Amino acid sequence: MQGQGQPESFVTISGVTKKFGDFTALDALSFSVREGGTLALLGPSGCGKTTMLRCLAGLETPESGFISIAGKVVFDSAKGINLNPEERGLGVVFQSYAVWPHMSVVENVEFPLRVRGISKEERRARAMEILEIVGLGQYAQRSATQLSGGQQQRVALARALVHKPALVLFDEALSNLDAALREHMRLELKALQDKLGFTALYVTHDQGEALGLAETIILMNAGRIDTSGLARDVFMNHRTSFAALFFGLNVIEADKLPGMTGTKFIGFQREHAHLSSVTDSAAQNGDLIVPGRIATRSFQGLVDEYAIDLAEGVSIRVLDGQGQFSPGDQVHVRIKAGNLFRLND
Amino acid sequence: MQAGTQSKEKSGWAWQKSLPLLGVSMGILLIIGPFMAGLVRSLLLWVADDPQVSLANYAWLFTDRRIQTAAINSLICGTGAMSISLVLGTSLAWIVSRTNVPGREIFKTLNLIPFFFSPYVGAIGWIFLVAPYSGLMQTTTATLFGGPVEGPNIYSLAGVIWILSLFYTPYVYLFVISPLQRMDAAFEDAARVHGAGFWTTVRLITLPLLQPGLLSAALIVFVTSAGLFDVPLALTATKGIRTMPTEVFALVRYPSDLGRAAAFGIFITAVTVALTLWQRAHLAKRRYEIVSGKGYKPRVIELRRSGKIIALTIEIIFLLTSVVLPVLALILVALSPLWTGKFNPANATLANFNYVLFEYSLTRQAIMNSLFLAVTGATIGVMISGLQSYYLVRVRSVFKSFVDALLALPLGIPGIVLSLFFLIFAIRTPLYGTLAILLIAYIARFFPFATRTITAMLSAIHPELEESARANGASWGQTMRMILLPLLRPALIAAWIMLFIIFIRELGASILLYASGTETISIAMLLLSENSVGYVAALALIQLVLLLIGFSLFRLTRAPVVQ
Ligand SMILES: Nc1ncnc2c1ncn2[C@@H]1O[C@H](COP(=O)(O)OP(=O)(O)OP(=O)(O)O)[C@@H](O)[C@H]1O
Ligand SMILES: [Mg+2]
Repeated sequence: MQGQGQPESFVTISGVTKKFGDFTALDALSFSVREGGTLALLGPSGCGKTTMLRCLAGLETPESGFISIAGKVVFDSAKGINLNPEERGLGVVFQSYAVWPHMSVVENVEFPLRVRGISKEERRARAMEILEIVGLGQYAQRSATQLSGGQQQRVALARALVHKPALVLFDEALSNLDAALREHMRLELKALQDKLGFTALYVTHDQGEALGLAETIILMNAGRIDTSGLARDVFMNHRTSFAALFFGLNVIEADKLPGMTGTKFIGFQREHAHLSSVTDSAAQNGDLIVPGRIATRSFQGLVDEYAIDLAEGVSIRVLDGQGQFSPGDQVHVRIKAGNLFRLND
Repeated sequence: MQAGTQSKEKSGWAWQKSLPLLGVSMGILLIIGPFMAGLVRSLLLWVADDPQVSLANYAWLFTDRRIQTAAINSLICGTGAMSISLVLGTSLAWIVSRTNVPGREIFKTLNLIPFFFSPYVGAIGWIFLVAPYSGLMQTTTATLFGGPVEGPNIYSLAGVIWILSLFYTPYVYLFVISPLQRMDAAFEDAARVHGAGFWTTVRLITLPLLQPGLLSAALIVFVTSAGLFDVPLALTATKGIRTMPTEVFALVRYPSDLGRAAAFGIFITAVTVALTLWQRAHLAKRRYEIVSGKGYKPRVIELRRSGKIIALTIEIIFLLTSVVLPVLALILVALSPLWTGKFNPANATLANFNYVLFEYSLTRQAIMNSLFLAVTGATIGVMISGLQSYYLVRVRSVFKSFVDALLALPLGIPGIVLSLFFLIFAIRTPLYGTLAILLIAYIARFFPFATRTITAMLSAIHPELEESARANGASWGQTMRMILLPLLRPALIAAWIMLFIIFIRELGASILLYASGTETISIAMLLLSENSVGYVAALALIQLVLLLIGFSLFRLTRAPVVQ
């Protein structure tokens, strides 16, 4: 991942370490993004996602490391380079939106052009153009305080895009929106990116948001990269227990299960466990079969979610659509060999 | 039994309704009463012992050159002090809230000290420092460089502006430090990442977001410094340069023309009321939230070495010029048996303190009077203000916003104008020449400070706390005594100390109302200022000690100084 030399690397982050006092928020983080690509920094609260984004934007100064954006070195601790935020030419959508309350919508949006000394007519025209794209054309003259949360976010988005930055950063871009609006904005963001062709870096703690928006995902854990790769791969193929737990899999110590050797933990999706009251005849070699007792059952729409106590005193959660078990029933849990993840830490 | 509960309920209800109304009506009376007296007097003209209704006083007002000069001088003082303290106060607030200047936590408190000191004492201290020929600065430079370095003339409008700026800088500081500390950092960050440099961000984002606080501070500083009596009296009155408040004083004294003085007072009141109402309307339109729950706290800016030196220099110069140097001058003067512009440690003596504290009946009486006025006035003031706050926060009424605006009016009216109206009101009554009339004038001029402090805290106390006591069978009186008053106690104490401090140093509201035997500390300083500077300095220091005690107690309550 030492991407300094890779030709297709558009954004390069290498060995970035950031400390707050004794606390290490980013621990020698390295990754890169290709031009026009989308990357999501995913991870639980406090793992350092926002800190990484702020280091990229120049709002925090790392202790050490190297950052280049579009071929321009913006930070290099070895050479003492540290460009100011305004010299990095980015667009940023902040988690709190940071839409300025003392300006109208269009004044907010034309701000990046205004400070670049672009004439009044031209910046008005360009701001209106981008406001039309995000669907706020008729709100241009409103005071920013009279907007709903979703509208404010579109203003923040328009402001981050109006000066055609090469790289746009999004901090929890969709998390403050309700479910329907979030889905709508997600599609809109994708369309905008296709149209305008910027490189995007999303920061989020929401896996659905990361999967829906980004082609590559970096899963962070306590200031380090836990897993990275293509979105689908990171989501489907789990290699660490942290990743498995983060994506909601059942994770069990291997030595508590029969026949599981050569690994520390076993993980499997809640959907992939098959329940039956008698020994499953479809069982094949390598499948995991354990007896257990139904502890609770809760209705989850099309399926039921069961909490099942396995014999060894381990509890798992299983989604099953058959609906024939009640608390207290003895069951056999079977997971196909192909659905078992051997997790090595 | 049934009847008993009912009547108890009823009387409880009566108290609940009538007590807050009592506080509000007393406040309104304290404002309207003297104002009406002034208005009536300004419309009367005595023609051969016969009073006639006439606009002659106003006609004179708008044609007299002296009035125009005084108005222009006040405008200069107000604008000058406002501009300097806006720049200085905002810079200081920014330095201690946004940078890593060494000692920022200590400076946060130290910057407030001038707010509690007396500008009049500050002016006297500065006279000792830089008065031509005899100022400490002149005598010291004369010794050091073989000839005195004359500084700018302190006996001038520039001198007045200088002193006012030093003492009103903390007002601005107080108004902007809290928004500066709580503002969502993302507002400024968003400007930076989208291409604005540091100063562009300050100009286009930070300052506009601070605008409501800056505007409130600007108006208060302008109105208070244009209407402050003490400093122009100490510095320019004897040089024939008058501002509006000293002109009012002159109109009452040499020669006495209460009609013209009243017309002038009504005019000043009208202007300040208009300004205050305009500001209220303006602020109501731009009440937006600059604090968002999700944002980060503003970043502390890591100053480079040069930046640290500049920030520290601004801090230290401010504290030196507003507190340390004038107090030092007062101490040296107070310790000298005869002040000649030079301090001789060999002759240092406490005789001046001994004299003003124990021997001289005028100063002894003055100290007693000031203490009595401050303690009694603060107590009565807090009682009235507490009831008003209850009305403003808890009582449902359609007149509330009107009452709120009305009760805030004295904040802008110069003390000398209000006391002029009280003088007109009381001059032919037995009240004239008593401590009581001083007490009433003090309370009338300053109760809004207490009302604001208490109202702010009361608004933060959830009414359910009282309602649950009522639901559990406590009467209204019991609820007040056992629930609300204990909860409100910090605000009540803070308000009390605030009034105590203001009353201890007050001069403008006393100058027209004192008589022989009812002098206050500030009046005694004024009376002695011509001939015995040692007593003046000693008295000033005694007053400062009282103020400092008040300030320390106030910090202990942890109450915010401005709401
Ligand atoms: N200015 C700061 N001073 C001290 N600690 C900080 C500062 N900023 C962040 N941290 C700490 O660094 C860690 C990472 O913070 P960061 O904001 O990057 O987390 P995050 O991954 O964005 O979390 P979330 O999903 O909650 O936004 C946290 O433990 C946080 O407390
Ligand atoms: Mg974050």
